[in-house]
Amino acid sequence: MTEIGIEVNARAVKAWVEPRTHLADFLRDHLNLTGTHLGCEHGVCGACTLLIDGMPARSCITFAAACDGAHVTTIEGLDDDEIATELRSAFTREHALQCGYCTPGMLISARDLVLRLDAANERDIRLGLAGNLCRCTGYVGIVRAVRSVIEDRRKRGIRPVLSAGREQLGPVGSGNGARGSRAQVSSRPANVEAPERASSAAAIPDFVADKIFEQHVTIAAPPAEVFAMFGDIKQIAACLPGASLTAEPTPEHVEGLIEVRLGPISAGFRGSARIGRDASTMSGRIVGTGNDQRSRSSTQGEIRYHLVPIEQGAATRVELSIGYSLQGMLAQIAREGLVRDLASRLTAEFARNLERRLSGTAESQRTRPASPVDGGALLFDVLRGRVRAILRGLLRR
Amino acid sequence: MKAAPFAYERPSDLNAAVALIAEADGAAKIIAGGQSLGPMLNLRLVQPELIIDIAGLAELKQAGRSGDELLIGACITHGDIEDGRIPDVTRSAMRCVAGAIAYRAVRNRGTIGGSLSHADPAADWVSALPALGAKVRLRSINGVRDLAVEHFIRGALETALQPGEIVEAVRVPVMRPSARWGYVKACRKPGEFAHAIAAVMIDPERGAACAVIGAIEAAPIVLRDAASLFGGSVTGNFRRQFDARVAEALLVEAGLANAADRHIHVAVLRRAIDEAA
Amino acid sequence: MSDGERVSAPRMTAGPGQGIGARMPRKEDDRFLRGRGQYVADIRLAGLQDVAFVRSPLAHARIKAVHVPERYRQLVFTASDLAAVKPIRAVSGLPGFKISEQPVLATGKVRHVGELVAICVAPTRAEAEDIAASVILDLEPLPAVHDMRKARDAGTALVHEHWADNVFLETLFEVDIAPALDAPIKVTREISTARQCMSPLEGRGVVATFDHRLDQLTLYTGAQMPHIVRNGLSDCLGIEQGRIRIVSPDIGGGFGHKGILLPEEVCLCWLAMQKHFTVRWIEDRREHLSASANCREHHYDITVYAERDGRLRGIDCEATVDSGAYSSYPFSACLEAAQVASILPGPYRMPAYRCRTFSVATNKCPILPYRGVARTGVCFALEIMLDAVAAEAGLEPAEVRLRNLVQPDEMPFDNITNKHFDSGDYPEAMRRAVAAIDVASVRRRQLKQEADGRLIGTGLSVYCEQAAHGTSVYAGWGIPMVPGHEQASARMTPDGGLEIRVGVHSHGQGMETTLAQVAHEILGIDTAKVRVIHGDTALTPYSTGTWGSRSMVMAGGAVGTACEKIAERAKHIGAKLLQLDPASVSLRDGRVCGPTSSIDLSEIAHTWYRRPQDLPPDVDPAGLESTSGYKPQRDSGTFSYAVHAVTVAIDPDLGSVELLDYVIVEDGGVLVNPMIVDGQIYGGLAQGIGTALYEEMPFDSAGQPLATTLADYLLPGPTEVPEPRLDHMETPSPYTMFGVKGIGEGGAIAPPAAIANAVNDALRPLGVELLHSPISPRRIVEAVLAAREAERPAA
Repeated sequence: MTEIGIEVNARAVKAWVEPRTHLADFLRDHLNLTGTHLGCEHGVCGACTLLIDGMPARSCITFAAACDGAHVTTIEGLDDDEIATELRSAFTREHALQCGYCTPGMLISARDLVLRLDAANERDIRLGLAGNLCRCTGYVGIVRAVRSVIEDRRKRGIRPVLSAGREQLGPVGSGNGARGSRAQVSSRPANVEAPERASSAAAIPDFVADKIFEQHVTIAAPPAEVFAMFGDIKQIAACLPGASLTAEPTPEHVEGLIEVRLGPISAGFRGSARIGRDASTMSGRIVGTGNDQRSRSSTQGEIRYHLVPIEQGAATRVELSIGYSLQGMLAQIAREGLVRDLASRLTAEFARNLERRLSGTAESQRTRPASPVDGGALLFDVLRGRVRAILRGLLRR
Repeated sequence: MKAAPFAYERPSDLNAAVALIAEADGAAKIIAGGQSLGPMLNLRLVQPELIIDIAGLAELKQAGRSGDELLIGACITHGDIEDGRIPDVTRSAMRCVAGAIAYRAVRNRGTIGGSLSHADPAADWVSALPALGAKVRLRSINGVRDLAVEHFIRGALETALQPGEIVEAVRVPVMRPSARWGYVKACRKPGEFAHAIAAVMIDPERGAACAVIGAIEAAPIVLRDAASLFGGSVTGNFRRQFDARVAEALLVEAGLANAADRHIHVAVLRRAIDEAA
Repeated sequence: MSDGERVSAPRMTAGPGQGIGARMPRKEDDRFLRGRGQYVADIRLAGLQDVAFVRSPLAHARIKAVHVPERYRQLVFTASDLAAVKPIRAVSGLPGFKISEQPVLATGKVRHVGELVAICVAPTRAEAEDIAASVILDLEPLPAVHDMRKARDAGTALVHEHWADNVFLETLFEVDIAPALDAPIKVTREISTARQCMSPLEGRGVVATFDHRLDQLTLYTGAQMPHIVRNGLSDCLGIEQGRIRIVSPDIGGGFGHKGILLPEEVCLCWLAMQKHFTVRWIEDRREHLSASANCREHHYDITVYAERDGRLRGIDCEATVDSGAYSSYPFSACLEAAQVASILPGPYRMPAYRCRTFSVATNKCPILPYRGVARTGVCFALEIMLDAVAAEAGLEPAEVRLRNLVQPDEMPFDNITNKHFDSGDYPEAMRRAVAAIDVASVRRRQLKQEADGRLIGTGLSVYCEQAAHGTSVYAGWGIPMVPGHEQASARMTPDGGLEIRVGVHSHGQGMETTLAQVAHEILGIDTAKVRVIHGDTALTPYSTGTWGSRSMVMAGGAVGTACEKIAERAKHIGAKLLQLDPASVSLRDGRVCGPTSSIDLSEIAHTWYRRPQDLPPDVDPAGLESTSGYKPQRDSGTFSYAVHAVTVAIDPDLGSVELLDYVIVEDGGVLVNPMIVDGQIYGGLAQGIGTALYEEMPFDSAGQPLATTLADYLLPGPTEVPEPRLDHMETPSPYTMFGVKGIGEGGAIAPPAAIANAVNDALRPLGVELLHSPISPRRIVEAVLAAREAERPAA
């Protein structure tokens, strides 16, 4: 818990809050100021908009702890506000509300526009309200109401206030808290245990991959030799970025963990895979499934390889096909393109590692011992190199 | 949709912040305005043990001219730039970009440094700043280093930030009087993720052009020397010399498989060039 | 005679100021404008705890185990704990309907992403989510049925394994199609609409507590139909209805999303009754988007036959609706698809017709009727087809419609599916719309190139909105809810006020105002003195609630009828007090008036309640309180209708669509409050634009919903919705009190069709036709590129 002091609707409030409590929940649950509504809790709908240090801000993605010392005004604090009073009467006259749920946030944003806009230009008003969704009114009454209040005030000679009068720099609400003297506030969360996934011995189902990436690498060793290397699952696993084994593998079965990171998002998929190999076609398949308990997401993936002799059988072209499907929250939330970008990068890295490791192995079987490869560091070197090469190529044209 | 529990620290100054970040050894997330991290926390996509709030640090909330460039503290908000609370050296280019980021209520807390650190490919600064020739200044307990923005952004949500490092400031060079600026993004509605962004700075006097094709769900394509888009040289007639096939080829190389997507990106680039003309 | 001393309120202004037809500001606005509305999440009760649900991350899987950490065993509840609770069953009486049982917590299998698996209780929502995160689901994935059309293929996985296929219901309606088949014009298309999420700004919410003194469960829930929720709860929990009180406070938008008995409601009631928790659950946006994309997914294989002059010979259609995994209570899984068959022909005349429909079960959440229900999809399909016929016949789209629309002298009109159109002049609405949007000038403009390279098009669509349809219609569906007489109670208070109690619910429609206007119309009482009480089963008469654009017709009629009874009794008392013959007095402006004297209603109320000694001996002992039932003379529904016309500009390079001009000519019968009617149309239009251009919940082949934030699921904002120009025709319904018709849904029905037609009009020179909503930039650009590719001469 963190102690904060906030001025809410001109009243000083001191409270202990959990750091994770956002400002809207704090106002609603601690102060019973329920006029601030939650519509999405990810900053899009605008229902939770209120004034922080006199400027509109989203209270659902602003943590209460970050507002120490700030001045917060909610809809309840605007009863006697001159602009809000004019807006309320215009909203009623123009039928600018139906269910009323978006109304408090809408009024806060509207008030900001009335304060700042030079003239009652409809386009500017609509753009200015674009961050406040209303599902009932079609915005007609809202735009009319805001326009009428701006027109009326400008007619009365009330000038717009540039920047709504703000001079301070930085995020609204920040920098008001006691600095230096009470510099550090901290709290430790209640321990939430990371649950172990109950290991299941179920058959790993077949699946059709949503996304498939193809890569190929060349190894300077005959196919039979490379095929034997693919039989060493530990070696293959070591090439898979973020992968680690959690139990001793058998030739048919492997259990492990794959940790993936997409920006600030990280997931650890724990699971198992079955291994199939066919020496007659020099091909194989590893099909696995894993779960990330924390994000309640699961993935299925397969690595198919097919070895093709090249250079009269002295070397091998490894044709890789890597497919995956993702289910659960990560599939539902992460924008598909971002995941695809990540997966293609990981695939490229896997191929690269494979090439290095297997080449190394092929070589070492003749000359020297294998050395571990740091997968993570490789990734961006590969990528950057590729992009630069493309750009250079084009620029030379 | 409530965040998982985390500890929260608000260091008193930049040195303390950097020390704290180093001490946290990667287990901490840095928050400034929280307009990108906040949603991810609420969605529990991100569950850090510790959040270090740098929004209060005065050192990061200043901006000023320094020689031929403007130094913008990482915690300057889009709203600060939009409203002209900080000096402008880009002949309003940055003010226009800032004013079209998300929504006013978001711009009042969202920061330029935060946006860059988050490195969402669809974010405006990720594409606009490379075209302006901007650099980022990164700080850790080991000191500072500067990187061109295009070298800082390494992929979707991936930056060159090392553990323990934070963005301290953005360095934006003064835009030459002869430079022409164009910035266009395709969104289905204002404030939405851009589906295509193009930023160009073209200076026919110097025969120089820089072009950025962004929002490609990976790091933007940055052509520091974009002469190839104009048949090899940048002249006053650059608008007519724009060669869409070169842009198309760049997008193919970057892995954009869908022809409609590429078509939209090229159209947006063309419009940015038209705007600059 | 003077006003009673006790009445301090100013005299009401009589007549048009407050009665039927008054453009009156809303009585309910003030509390919302001050942030003092009370939604479910705003309710504070002692000991209130929060609930978070563990939901299925998979669309289709067998539940092998649910592991609950030992220390949370008292705070987490799974299906086995709720073994005594009966599943939700919404059975249709239509022949062949297959029954699905929806367990309130998943049992055996999960059948859609977001299905409830476990309940977690904690002092705050955040802590409840912490607990939920610690519960481990051991699920064995099954192939997901994600495509309603493939769902009917042999060998497809079964959503309900005891069924032989995935079809809830197949229906066929045919009026011999054979004679149409040799028509000179035959156009065939495949048309579809995306799955959507209704997205009221406020999600659902539930608070449950048990009152031991009253031996009563109190459930606060955002419900459009509180009495129906009580029916369903009583069935599931096996308790008598008297032990349940449902309170539905302010609701932040319904649109159909809150017209359902929720498994969450049953779960919280169980917690309150069996575990003595006072609990709340508030649907968050992620839950809403990932677990409740519950509407609009239609597919049509449709052929229209016509003469060369555009007259329709017949329509042949096969329609499929993705009904999701279960049959929702009370509307069932088949209402929507089956409705398609009966409403497709609309206000058009045709001699032949065949429509086969399928309500298909898939691994998606169960569907609910969204504003406009099947009409939005039907209008989209039919009106696109009429434009295709027009193109084939070389006629203006409006002309084809004029040649087929029912004529005013044919009213009332029974169309080919026996829909009884009560009144109206459809061709006139069409003519007005064509004139207002100025099709001729758009045609001239199209001949010239636009300076900015955009393409201009104009399109229109016609719809009708059957509203307030009652017993005769719903008895045929045989679903758990059949509306009968709608009741209202009206009661004068001793100080001359009026309390009105209705079982419908107002959540944006402004009924606290419009029902007061009805009372004013009858009694002349100042609307400021009228209180409309709704949303509480303990305080209101039974009602099927607010849905189907029925409330103004039904509850308005009931309020009117109840007030008429009070008026009669008040006149009787007033006449005695004025010492006149009751036959010689009338009620005007809130006063009982004789030839030379009058007395205010408030004085009559004072006499009835507080000075009964002054009452006439033959006074009606029922007094100044009346509960009355109402049904229109015919309960086949009122038919409002409109023509929407729109002009668009399309950027073929970016695929963006701008709505340059939008005209709506609408006939909603007599308008009780034109301001509120306009608001309903504006709001409906915004949602229709969402359907047309923005809103879509894509699913992958595993049945995962992919647009689970509002950054991905796009709702139209102020810059996406233009201000339309409205023109009202007011043809009274011959069957309803005051001639009113239902108008709540219409705005959302026509826009996708009108906009699609305008887009196709603009893109016709490129050979592009878009048949799937939403018409996204990418769909436009892909179609344009494909058309260019097709035109390119083979090299």
